[in-house]
Amino acid sequence: MLARLDDGSHAWRFRAMASPCEILLDTGDAALAARLGALAQAEAQRIEAKWSRYRPDNLMHAINTAGGAAVEVDEETARLIDYGEHLYRFSEGRFDLTSGVLRRLWRFDGNECWADAGDVAAVLARVGWSRVEWNGRAIRLQPDMEIDFGGIGKEYAVDRSLTLLRDATDAPLLVNYGGDLAASGPRRDGAEWQVGILDSTTRIRLRSGAVATSGSAYRHLWHAGRRYGHLLDARNGYPVADAPQAVTVAAPTCSAAGALSSLALLHGAGARGFLELQGADYHVLD
Amino acid sequence: MQLNSPLNAAALALLGLSQASAAADAAPGWSFDTSTLVYSEADGRVQAAEPRVRATRTWDSGRSASLGLTLDTLTGASPNGATPSSVPQTFTTPSGNGSYTIAAGETPLDDTFRDTRIALDASFSTPLGTRNTLTTTLFASTEYDYLSIGAGATIARDFNLRNTTVSLGVNVSQDSIDPVGGVPQPLSRMPGESEPIGRTEGTESKQVFDVLASVTQLLSPTSLVTLTASLSLSDGYLTDPYKILSVVGTDGEPLRYVYEGRPDSRFKQAVYGEYKRFVADRDAWTISLRLMSDDWGVFSQTVDSTYRWNFGARDYLEPHLRYYRQSEADFYRAALFDGEENGLVEASADPRLAAFDAITIGLKYGHTTRGGLPWWVRLEGYTQLGRTAGVPAAAADGLSKFDLEPELNAVMFTAGFRFDR
Repeated sequence: MLARLDDGSHAWRFRAMASPCEILLDTGDAALAARLGALAQAEAQRIEAKWSRYRPDNLMHAINTAGGAAVEVDEETARLIDYGEHLYRFSEGRFDLTSGVLRRLWRFDGNECWADAGDVAAVLARVGWSRVEWNGRAIRLQPDMEIDFGGIGKEYAVDRSLTLLRDATDAPLLVNYGGDLAASGPRRDGAEWQVGILDSTTRIRLRSGAVATSGSAYRHLWHAGRRYGHLLDARNGYPVADAPQAVTVAAPTCSAAGALSSLALLHGAGARGFLELQGADYHVLD
Repeated sequence: MQLNSPLNAAALALLGLSQASAAADAAPGWSFDTSTLVYSEADGRVQAAEPRVRATRTWDSGRSASLGLTLDTLTGASPNGATPSSVPQTFTTPSGNGSYTIAAGETPLDDTFRDTRIALDASFSTPLGTRNTLTTTLFASTEYDYLSIGAGATIARDFNLRNTTVSLGVNVSQDSIDPVGGVPQPLSRMPGESEPIGRTEGTESKQVFDVLASVTQLLSPTSLVTLTASLSLSDGYLTDPYKILSVVGTDGEPLRYVYEGRPDSRFKQAVYGEYKRFVADRDAWTISLRLMSDDWGVFSQTVDSTYRWNFGARDYLEPHLRYYRQSEADFYRAALFDGEENGLVEASADPRLAAFDAITIGLKYGHTTRGGLPWWVRLEGYTQLGRTAGVPAAAADGLSKFDLEPELNAVMFTAGFRFDR
């Protein structure tokens, strides 16, 4: 849906990947803005349809229900799996494409709620990238395992949408999918883009490159007087204690920014130390 | 933006890009800002035209370079420092080769004042690591009797995703002046037209050293504040060789004129605070306060405010109000009493060192074309009101019949536009 903003520029808004999505276009040309907005929306919906783990008709479903057989994947899916494997090694196992099944044990609604240790152990037995066979073309899961692109898919959609739109126009633009964003460059008047994040007063100022945020004030749980963030450590199946409420990271691509912010949350109280070590440009909300 | 993390390369691979192709993605650009200021003081005083052009090259790597050129053409008359008299006064021009006469009761203005200044500056800005920016600058300006060259460096560091910026800067400059007619001896008598000028030919110089520290903090999504502290040390020849003082008797009438003289160093301290607020998601209001004091005894306060009213998608109006107040320098004298010059080392009647208040009121209109290029025009009026200071007690009655602090009015018109390629 196209909206004209007070400063004469345009915004195209839609919902995809369970998030509000927005394309800001610094152009007064409504027809152009609508055409570009629709292009980005189609790309976001393509990515969602292709890899959503909730659909019975896509490639992800085929991989997860292969019953132990190898499934050949296309080149784009291969790149996403490669990236997931890279993150698995880079995070020393904290991030794992096969860890999605653990999420069914936990409810991050701000309450005191803790999963049964026996249940965690049982589900954890179905998790582990080291048990996946991946040769760059075909993937073979153990029969009880599943993979999903949670944690990388939305950021990938932001980067892809920006690349597509950039090829289609010189007008400055910003892609914002549920708070993960990327800009093509400064606005027409040379100014930075300014986008509010979450419920904090922090304002993101972005000239080019990308920014991603992990965590929110609402998605956490309490246990034995400590606060736990909503991301699960794939090594043990438990959430991480004393994680910041939210971590925002700026990076050249939204994919890199998203990975860094997620991995920082998985370092709990060590989030800042991790980000400093990476030389990241970041903001941590405690 | 750089990122040391190996994740950066992995993310580019995910997008089917290499590091090199990501860098080649940069949209290099030039932009040119040009403006011209026309400045006109009332009553035939200083008239100036000042065209400027600045070319800026920006790279997506975050580096930028800019080159600026300013031309200043000044004509008209400016006060020479002498007080009015009940009879016409004749002054020798600085070169000693001519003279000008001022009518009775009028403020003496030197109408031989004519100058063209050319100033050039070049700066280069580059990110250092992920959150630091280093800007280095070289500048030079020249007039027929003046040359200034300098260099500066500023390092800025961003924190909190650029919600906080801290910067530290230094500037040094070396100026040399080669006064027309030579360098006069401070507080010596200015010779008459037929007398030898009795001044030493020569070049004088000064050095200026500035340091500046600044913090900019985003307070909320719609407001930000900047605080700056600066120190400036000038060392060397700080006297204006063309300015004089009247030596008067009890009747306030001039007996002779002497050249001014100033201390050979000046240390200034200043603090500046600025608050900017976005109003109604559309407009921007800025207010700033600057306090400056120096070891010459000058203390100044400036309050400045603008309101940018974006009344259309591509149009804005920006009213501007500025109030300035300064106290006089310790050695400021409206005139000297007969014989007083023999006991003084420093004295100046330069109105810029006097006590005065000044108000600027202006309005700017800006428009952005359909193609995205901005242009603007601004009209401002300036009024300076002097406050009496530095009048010798023994001649106060005699001088009271003259207007020692005439009001100064000026109009400034500026037009500018930017284009990119």
